[in-house]
Amino acid sequence: MDVVLQAIGFVFQWQTLAALAAGTVYGIIIGLLPGLGPSAGMALALPLVIKWDPAMALIFMGSLYKCSTYGGSITAILVNTPGDASNAATVLDGHPMCQQGRGGVALGLSATSAMVGGTIGMICLIFAAPMLAEFALKFGPAEYFLTAMLALSIISAVVQGATIKGLIAAGLGLLLSTVGFDVITGHLRYTFDWTPLEDGVPLIQALVGLFAVTQALVLAESAASISRLARLAGGFWEGVAIYFRHPVVFLRAAAIGLFVGVLPAVGQSSAGLLAWADAKRSSKHPEKFGDGSPEGVLASETATSACMPGDLVCTIALGIPGSLGAAIFLGVMIVFGVAPGPLAFTEKADVIYSLFVALILTSFVIFVIGMTVARRLAVITLLPNDIIVPLILVISLLGSFAIRNEMSDVIISVVFGALGYVMLKGGFTPIPLLLGLVLGEMVETNYHRALLISGGSYTIFHASVISQVLIALTVLSLAGPYLGSYWRTLTQGEK
Amino acid sequence: MMKTLKVLAAAAAVFLTAPALAADYPSKPVKLIVTAAPGGGEDTEARAIAPFVEKHLGTTIVIENQPGAGGKIAFEKFQKAEPDGYTLITYTFPKSVIIEYQGKTNYRTKDFTPIFAWSRSSQLLVVNAETWKTFGEFLKAAKTKKLSGGLSGRGSTTHLMGLIALDELGIDANWVPYEGSAGSVAALAGKHLDFTICLATSAVSLIQAGKLRPLLLFSDKRDPYMADVPTPKELGYDMSFIPTLRGVEAPPNTPPAIVKVLEDAFRKAAAEPDFIAVAKKRKMVLEPVTSKEFAKAVADVYPRIGKLQNMLKEGK
Repeated sequence: MDVVLQAIGFVFQWQTLAALAAGTVYGIIIGLLPGLGPSAGMALALPLVIKWDPAMALIFMGSLYKCSTYGGSITAILVNTPGDASNAATVLDGHPMCQQGRGGVALGLSATSAMVGGTIGMICLIFAAPMLAEFALKFGPAEYFLTAMLALSIISAVVQGATIKGLIAAGLGLLLSTVGFDVITGHLRYTFDWTPLEDGVPLIQALVGLFAVTQALVLAESAASISRLARLAGGFWEGVAIYFRHPVVFLRAAAIGLFVGVLPAVGQSSAGLLAWADAKRSSKHPEKFGDGSPEGVLASETATSACMPGDLVCTIALGIPGSLGAAIFLGVMIVFGVAPGPLAFTEKADVIYSLFVALILTSFVIFVIGMTVARRLAVITLLPNDIIVPLILVISLLGSFAIRNEMSDVIISVVFGALGYVMLKGGFTPIPLLLGLVLGEMVETNYHRALLISGGSYTIFHASVISQVLIALTVLSLAGPYLGSYWRTLTQGEK
Repeated sequence: MMKTLKVLAAAAAVFLTAPALAADYPSKPVKLIVTAAPGGGEDTEARAIAPFVEKHLGTTIVIENQPGAGGKIAFEKFQKAEPDGYTLITYTFPKSVIIEYQGKTNYRTKDFTPIFAWSRSSQLLVVNAETWKTFGEFLKAAKTKKLSGGLSGRGSTTHLMGLIALDELGIDANWVPYEGSAGSVAALAGKHLDFTICLATSAVSLIQAGKLRPLLLFSDKRDPYMADVPTPKELGYDMSFIPTLRGVEAPPNTPPAIVKVLEDAFRKAAAEPDFIAVAKKRKMVLEPVTSKEFAKAVADVYPRIGKLQNMLKEGK
């Protein structure tokens, strides 16, 4: 307890608070810019903080890392472009809210979600990290394969509202994910000797295309503005009030976000979507989801914010990073002499607990920034399309170029933009495709790994209790819509 | 007329000769290419040493990340870069050589001009701490049953080292490749694999926590950060190793005078107490490798990796 009190004392010094606020603002800006993620942000900031006191530097980096997903939610809501795959579900309801002139309400929801989700996640991280990490280790290749399959089937079945269309899009995503270097066999597939594809279809570049370029094309069809009303209805505080009227929804979303966040490599991309699907399933008005339902925004953003502390569980407790961002944070911790792992909690307790206290505090700083700055951004939705379309295209394609300084990446984004536009006109949402692309490698490599370990025997896929539960849930989520009204309500929420 | 031409030719000759170029080198910022995304091991090491090199080189170092295709995109651009000392590359050697053997490439690592390498790392054989206590026990088990072993990638240095080791020990294994060592180390900690071969730095936190146990270090001498782990020689095995170096190279045909300036700056930077302190925290084994030694390591590694890649293609 002493150590926690000392940590609180350390964090509430003005220097620490300044580092924390700077990290938060920097993280939000990094999140706002397409193509610049937390990993690049932390690497660029490293020379700046290298001479700082370790605890202070880690607080700066930690708040930067934690806040970058919030920046992504702002662009998801206002211009239909998630900053990262983790904000994809926010697009579903956040952007329709903007079209109805309720952008300010949506921003209020996302800022409150970042505060509440982040705080719940951090509290669980502080008290249950070693336990959660032990649980994550129980997941071997077979369990990872089944988890990814479950996430894909839930999302395809629910996001679209039509299971078959969702599965078609997800299948297309899975097919595209086979492009590039096959990690297990070492072969190059479907690259047509074009080097930029050897790593596979680059994710952020595809995301920029599917969302930003497609959105620019859609907006270019009319001379109006994003908001169909000439003025904004409702504001930031209405969003905050709506948020706290749905305690069950946000608690469930936080639990889902934390749970999938703990599993290395699953979390960030699917947490928001799974929580969105769950909220729709259990809502009294599932038909409003995807059409500007505030519950959709709050479920997706709360899960995404709770996911990040989950992501840090294995990183800090075991020294095993769960995502690229976490891997870089791990590297930063080592540079500052805090070797992550089970011993960190005893050997470097002062630094670790200061970091935890600070990360709880950043959740509130995000809210203050959302309240003072981000809410004003809602006026963007009133700008005429002939100003906003070139802006979206220039900023997003520049972001796509900046990742590897390659013109080929811009081409990839434009191709995905065209694909997204065609899909949209054909009545498909690009989200299952995106998720298929993100999880495809996980599905394929873990399937292959499981069979390598078992020597080709399929029994490995139902050997553990975790696997059996995952199989049952997958079958239920896919077959549910066809089993009559009781099962349909249970799995899809439709009456 | 002839006279004017002669004067012009003489003037051109003065402009075209190299010494003028080397004498005032460096007169502008030097670009250091990192062949991976920001934040990985290569990137953090480059950013750690850069400020110290700036001090001794007397100019700014601009780090540029060029990830993609395991570094192949960066290597191919680098092959054609101007050899004026203003474009350098840093990566984990011999990654570039492995890529050459895996497919068609428009570059040759042996064409690059080695400058200096500052650290060396060795592979480690680790098992779950709840399983075998000694290398002898592990070997006995591996001879009775085909064990599954985690790798940080197919054809990676961990894979090549694993092939050498199994050949010498006379055992066979189911290789399970992961992308990077985080996955293979986690799967070992959860007992989904029997053993893993990885760089010592990747497993150190779980070893200290008592979850994993290192049984063998693939090196000529013990690692100062884990002094109780034996080497093959001590156990009576004769193995050759694939050295893993972190260093910096210049484009093909860089003039020796420029190489000398750069080598001096990097050598002095690697000896700075502040850099050594950072290295200690990251558990890097610092070992200065001069331009000449680096070039020899490059020449030596080609036939060895070639032989192992043929083994890979035969389906081992």
